[in-house]
Amino acid sequence: MTSLPLLSVRDLVVEFQTGEGIVRAVNNVSFDIPQGKTIGIVGESGSGKSVTSLAVMGLLQKPAGKIPQGQILFEGQDLLKYNEDQMRKIRGNQISMIFQEPMTSLNPVFKVGEQIAEALRIHKNLSKKEAWEKAVHLMNQVGIPHPEISAHKFPHEMSGGQKQRVMIAMAISCEPKLLIADEPTTALDVTIQKQVLELLYKLQQEYRMSMMFITHDLGVIGDIADDVVVMYRSNVVEKNHASNIFMSAQHPYTKGLLACRPKLGANPKRLLTVSDFMTEDGQEKIVPSERVQVFDKESVIEKDEKVLLEVKDLVTQFPIKGGLFGRTVDHFKAVNGVSFQLKKGKTLGLVGESGCGKTTLGRTILRLVEPASGNIIYDGKDITHVYHEELRQLRRKMQIIFQDPYSSLNPRMTISDILTEPLNIHKIGGSRAEKLDMARELIEKVGLKSNQMSRYPHEFSGGQRQRICIARALMLKPEFVICDESVSALDVSIQAQVLNLLLDLQQEFGLTYVFISHDLSVVNFIADEVGVMYAGKIIEMDKASRIYKNATQEYTRSLLSAIPKGQTKQAPTLTV
Amino acid sequence: MTKYIIRRLLYMIPVLLGVSLIIFVLFNVVSGDPTAVLLGKNATVRQMADLREQLGLNKSLLSQYFDVVKSAFTFDFGYSWATKQEISHMIWQGAYPSLCLSVPAFVISTILSLLISLMVAYYRGKGIDLFVRIICIAGMSISALAYILFFQWFFAYKLGWFEISGFEPEFPAFISYVALPAVIWIVLSIGPDVRFFRTVILDEIYQDYVRTARAKGISEMTILFRHVLRNALIPIITYVVIQIPSLILGALLLENFFSIPGLGGMTLNALNSSDFPVMKAMAVMSSVGYILFGLLADILYTAADPRIKFK
Amino acid sequence: MKTNTLWKDAFKRLSNDKLALVALVIVCFYFLIAILSSLGFVASGWSQEVGASNLAPSMNHFFGTDIFGRSVLLKVIRGTQIAMSVGVAASIIAIPIGVILGALAGYFGGWVDDIITWFYTTFSSVPNIMLLISITLILGKGIFAVYIALGATSWVTLCRLIRGEVMKHKEREYVQAAGAIGGGHLRKLFRHILPNVSHIIIINTSMQFQIAIKSEVILSYLGLGVQGEPSWGTMIDDAKLELVRGVWWQLAGATLAMFLILLAFNILGDALRDALDPKLKGK
Repeated sequence: MTSLPLLSVRDLVVEFQTGEGIVRAVNNVSFDIPQGKTIGIVGESGSGKSVTSLAVMGLLQKPAGKIPQGQILFEGQDLLKYNEDQMRKIRGNQISMIFQEPMTSLNPVFKVGEQIAEALRIHKNLSKKEAWEKAVHLMNQVGIPHPEISAHKFPHEMSGGQKQRVMIAMAISCEPKLLIADEPTTALDVTIQKQVLELLYKLQQEYRMSMMFITHDLGVIGDIADDVVVMYRSNVVEKNHASNIFMSAQHPYTKGLLACRPKLGANPKRLLTVSDFMTEDGQEKIVPSERVQVFDKESVIEKDEKVLLEVKDLVTQFPIKGGLFGRTVDHFKAVNGVSFQLKKGKTLGLVGESGCGKTTLGRTILRLVEPASGNIIYDGKDITHVYHEELRQLRRKMQIIFQDPYSSLNPRMTISDILTEPLNIHKIGGSRAEKLDMARELIEKVGLKSNQMSRYPHEFSGGQRQRICIARALMLKPEFVICDESVSALDVSIQAQVLNLLLDLQQEFGLTYVFISHDLSVVNFIADEVGVMYAGKIIEMDKASRIYKNATQEYTRSLLSAIPKGQTKQAPTLTV
Repeated sequence: MTKYIIRRLLYMIPVLLGVSLIIFVLFNVVSGDPTAVLLGKNATVRQMADLREQLGLNKSLLSQYFDVVKSAFTFDFGYSWATKQEISHMIWQGAYPSLCLSVPAFVISTILSLLISLMVAYYRGKGIDLFVRIICIAGMSISALAYILFFQWFFAYKLGWFEISGFEPEFPAFISYVALPAVIWIVLSIGPDVRFFRTVILDEIYQDYVRTARAKGISEMTILFRHVLRNALIPIITYVVIQIPSLILGALLLENFFSIPGLGGMTLNALNSSDFPVMKAMAVMSSVGYILFGLLADILYTAADPRIKFK
Repeated sequence: MKTNTLWKDAFKRLSNDKLALVALVIVCFYFLIAILSSLGFVASGWSQEVGASNLAPSMNHFFGTDIFGRSVLLKVIRGTQIAMSVGVAASIIAIPIGVILGALAGYFGGWVDDIITWFYTTFSSVPNIMLLISITLILGKGIFAVYIALGATSWVTLCRLIRGEVMKHKEREYVQAAGAIGGGHLRKLFRHILPNVSHIIIINTSMQFQIAIKSEVILSYLGLGVQGEPSWGTMIDDAKLELVRGVWWQLAGATLAMFLILLAFNILGDALRDALDPKLKGK
């Protein structure tokens, strides 16, 4: 202990009053943030990491949120003893915060310049003109092009990355001593994420700020944090230097979290999950060595399978309305001449950033969206222009698993209704009892219990819901499944389980997948072949095991280099 | 923006045609032959035929419909059956007393409601918020008729604070006639207004950008009046502007009870004497007003919300 | 969590709200009175003279008597029957029209939407009060005209709400999933989307019901409503002349009866919205 830490959280407890009684969201959490250092707080959804940061800011929702115990010492003063007026002088001035969702975190009806200037006028007593000039200067500093012009823009006129830069400019405007960043890059594309992380790191150095960086992604932490606090179910389970976390994690949960994220190179045949390291009650488990063994996809002897799906010069376009009467004046080609072949039993991974057309491509292949030109040939038959009964029959063979497990299940139907519906539509399976038997069999295959089938979707967790979606897709015994960002909305530990499940099912039923994702490492793990999409085209396609080493396109390389490596760039620092 | 306005203007045409169609169907098709009513029991067939000719009821349905559409633009509604006056002249005369009552009442009630709802939004969840909500709901549950009868009886008749009924067009004189109906108007509209404004304001208070503003260290008062109100005003403006055409119509019941010779009273007189042309004229007039102010509300909405300009 | 359906869940939340339960009981009580009255079990003798003219409220006559010596209480009960029947009739007309048109417009979009949007924009462009009095004037005075007039005005709001909500749900992944397993338009619309927007119908009906009751009172007051039977509106109309002579009980009786049911519907409407509309949860 050399000097007083800037922020010191001591035995913090936060409780929420809910309909079901009092819920403890943060339980006896303690950590320090030294001057000029960055602390990463890592945890999955519901671990209490965001609540902790809101408690520091004094922004807990009142009156539901209460702090029955603990201290939050900022420069030695307990912020919990401050009244609202005193806290207001701290917020935005000494401690400032960046939020996850740049789309909604800015006021839509004010110019961004005004919004940056506002904090300066309150805390630094600058005149309107001075504050505006400072705002423009700050926008320049955070790398927004043409700051004089951009300051006059409204938030909706900017991209997500730019909005997040505006949020950062706003947060650093009063040169705070502590910057809290709550998942600041989660909503951004991976290349933008990299830029924002670099910017934050640069600013932190320049301003000699301390930073509290909250994320669910251990990979990101490595790029930016000095020390790491790992939270699990409202508790801190591990505090360590960032380098130690990656080299020699102590707690089984941290180990599991590190292992369950697929890596860019070789991975085990099935991903390790947190449950491989830890029992339900938190006891450490020994991981069997065969689980850890790296699996080389190239080692599998290629059987010569037939081509199941072929896509030729596929174009899907959406009309752009304009003119006086809202006529179609032009077309936006979301998918612009895509061709590929996919063999039976294989997985094609499609990777790209938001807006590249990967989702539209998936829906067009399934004929949920009409193609404008080109051909889709499935199992030797051109299905580009089949309709009605023929299209309905096609649905038995081709299925899709969506991204959002919360909106892809009808909330007013029980699980058994959801699972037997495809059978009813296609008149399979005779009596209801027979259909239920089929559903029961499948629900156990995806790892749920068959006695839960009379329940409704809202009674299940996100991971469980995604399992139900998978079961629904498989009810018709399809040969081909499109997974559209099917694991993106899940916590990493759940993501690993679902990826393993998808691989198990592929093996058992001989499924062919098109796996769409923005996440290169996930695609690398699950796919045999990878196509990189950019502006409606597949710009590069290769074996999954090769594309990471020998990418030919500049864009692919920039995507690859933007992926957080999950290791520290700084040497370990000794502060404690 | 201009494109949007032009498009909205053009869209008025089919709506206007539709509105004319409803009014035409009601008054020219469903209503049947009015001559029997007008001439009484002893009318001869000859008299009825003459009158039909005179009223233009022998024209084809299409040209009768066209007359309705035309009246929406020319405001030429023909003559009243009851008073034999030109209807456009009657409307012109009735507008002034109506506006004397409705404009001050509307302005005061809107401002008052906005202030009250800002206050309850600031103290949301506290006692005063609950109290205002209860008053609003209870107030809205009492019939307008009961308010009018009681207020008129109590304040005008019993206490003698206001004139019981009547109207004078001169400036300071009309105040004593419109004051009580205006008060009743305000009492009647505060309930629904506050409820709507409060909901809109609270919708905004739970948005992410408010959290950002708090994180900047802005005081709750500034957040409410600068950030939240500016966003909430967008739906509030629409809500308020849409109501303006009803100001011209005045308050039907209030004018009737207080014998104010405005458009509302005129409509009710027409109703009692089955004066179809006047009813029809009022229906056309008020619909045109609704459509125009609906357009105005839309344009203001677009102007107030920077996000929409892009469309 | 043992509760199974969202409706049960909502009911549970509703039953925790004591005020809403009281409101529900009041609404049920009014319905009961209305049904009993229409079957002739209560208030069938409302037109008989039970005492002297204009008796003030007493133990014998809770609400006093009117100018013809008839019991004001029985008239209030008879008026309840009229008021509730207007609400029911308006709902029976408005719900099918509003739901079907709104669902079609929201689901199919395109020219279907254009036509239906035009249709309800047109209807909402004629001020309600003008439409109401015009329809009743033309169809002739009487309760039937009031039913038609209220039905014709109250479907518009429901239609617009349903359209908007269906449009939102149409894009949800669960509806796309239903398409992906081979479900057709009918299945997507009726099996999947409509059950998910049904709460709108309930919430809106509880709002429209009180508008119907209020409108009936005003129309009856204007002499356009029910003829030859007591209604709250005609009672208030009577009271207009009686008040000066100190006869306040007709006004009080009708207003009180109306106040209770409107209050109950207001409270119930709010509670239903809180319980059924997930968007407003936690407020």
